[in-house]
Amino acid sequence: MTLAAVQVEVRYEMRSAVRPTTVTLEPGELVALVGPNGAGKSTLLRALAGLVAHAGSVTWRGAALTRLDGRTRARTVAYLPQDPPVHWPLAASEVVGLGRLPHRAYGAERSTADDEAIAGAMRQTDTLAFAARSVHRLSVGERARVLLARALAVEAPVLLVDEPIAMLDPYHQLDVMRVLQRYAAGGTAPRLVVAVLHDLGLAARFCARALLLNDGAVVGDGPAEDTLSAAAIRAHYRVEPFIARHDGEPLIVPWRALPRASDAD
Amino acid sequence: MSAPTARMRPPQWALGIFLGVLVLVAAGASLLIGRDGGGPTFGFGGPELADVIFREIRLPRTLLAVLVGGTLGLCGAGLQGLLRNPLAEPGLLGASSGAAFGAVIVFYFGLAGASSLLLPLGAVAGSLLALGVLYALAGRRGDFLTIVLAGIAINALAAALTSLALNFAPSPYAALEILFWMLGSLADRSLAHVYLALPLMVPGWLLVAAAARGLDALTLGEETASSLGFAPQRSQWLVIGGTALAVGGAVAVTGVVGFVGLVVPHLLRRAVGQHPSRLLLPSFLGGALLTTLADVAIRLLPPGPELKLGVVTALLGAPFFLHLVMRGSARAGSLQ
Repeated sequence: MTLAAVQVEVRYEMRSAVRPTTVTLEPGELVALVGPNGAGKSTLLRALAGLVAHAGSVTWRGAALTRLDGRTRARTVAYLPQDPPVHWPLAASEVVGLGRLPHRAYGAERSTADDEAIAGAMRQTDTLAFAARSVHRLSVGERARVLLARALAVEAPVLLVDEPIAMLDPYHQLDVMRVLQRYAAGGTAPRLVVAVLHDLGLAARFCARALLLNDGAVVGDGPAEDTLSAAAIRAHYRVEPFIARHDGEPLIVPWRALPRASDAD
Repeated sequence: MSAPTARMRPPQWALGIFLGVLVLVAAGASLLIGRDGGGPTFGFGGPELADVIFREIRLPRTLLAVLVGGTLGLCGAGLQGLLRNPLAEPGLLGASSGAAFGAVIVFYFGLAGASSLLLPLGAVAGSLLALGVLYALAGRRGDFLTIVLAGIAINALAAALTSLALNFAPSPYAALEILFWMLGSLADRSLAHVYLALPLMVPGWLLVAAAARGLDALTLGEETASSLGFAPQRSQWLVIGGTALAVGGAVAVTGVVGFVGLVVPHLLRRAVGQHPSRLLLPSFLGGALLTTLADVAIRLLPPGPELKLGVVTALLGAPFFLHLVMRGSARAGSLQ
């Protein structure tokens, strides 16, 4: 019951976007994938989703994702890219309904299970109010939540989301982190959620585990609060953090950019 | 717990049945209305002629209007879904102009008189050749923009070669014959033309229809479509291969009938809630309806030389296209 990446490496032309990486992810976990811009977070997420050519293997319950047929893989791994397009002005609920495509046979109408998954995903993302509105008429944040609902509606045991809260207001940032936590805890069985995040404070608070990437390599892995130590943030983000506790939970605020190496002398 | 519905809309089959009935009515009119030197005629003339007029003239013409119009509508909807652009249409890929060139070659060598079937065969060969060149240019894993650019190049090349053939036409009469054929018409076709086009059209339709769910998935971009289990490459070649076959068959028997594939999906898109897959069947029926009506309208005009169908659709379609561009509808979708 694990998603295992063994010696996964992604190369774009000559450059390694992700260096050979071996990592095992367990259901029930909300895992933060953190690291500075260009660290390879999104590329590793795509490799975990089986969407990018890579060396090594990604297996779910021992079966290689690339060997699964498209629909089985789609029902196993749901993936939300960063800021995906919506090319036609579909109603919000219809966009969410696209997440049910892997569950539906050709030409089949929506089943009750489809309807429930769509309504449930929209309730969780607080998007029911504009279910009938065209996605082209929504604000950026509303649209981002509709697209998250689309990914939730797949009801896959593995959910991979790329910066799901980047466009959201504080209320919905907190709300979505809670939703991802609940999704990982699972309805009937625990599920795995991997989220690329830039908000280190929310990552430390809500995620059981964090993978810290830099320059295509995993440089930190463990409980989120430990991985995001002041030393690690200094070393890999080049930022002096303010770290405290509030209500017994970690609070991390990036405080000051450290001078670049070239400015040091 | 019921899911939120987008908007109160009649169910999908209602639109299909509505359009289907209209197609039947239009086809009935097309069977009843004819034309001779004195303008439109109604009914089948004398009882001794009725059978011949029905079977040899009206029936093939009506069947071809429905089949060719349906093909253009369906393929237009498929291509617009694939390219996620409301300005896409079958002519875009070069299948039409390739087919036209193939037919022109048959004219050029004066073979059209030898057998009435040589002309359509030349057109099919031209269409398949255009697709082959497209495949070679855009490659198996070609992205959409490459395909569109390759289509433009093929169109330009086919047009240039057609002009070359006109330039060297053995006689002014041959050049005129070529030009007239290229205008696109359903007049003076026989059931043999139907039998020739159908074996190309039906597999073409099935290929395009097989891409339906993939087109829905592509609404969210290629990456999300892949993650939903619908590889964009597969959808791409289903739609493009299907279009080349079906449109090749259509152009082979009628010449180039433009804009039906552009206009029809656009008019129906709102009625199906913008879903690319739900647009396919209504666009087939809508294309059949529009083409049949246009072909009936031609016969109702006052006496004089009969207008070519391709001229009528272009006269109606070009301003519509301009209207779309001016209104900025092109922004609704985008090439990737």
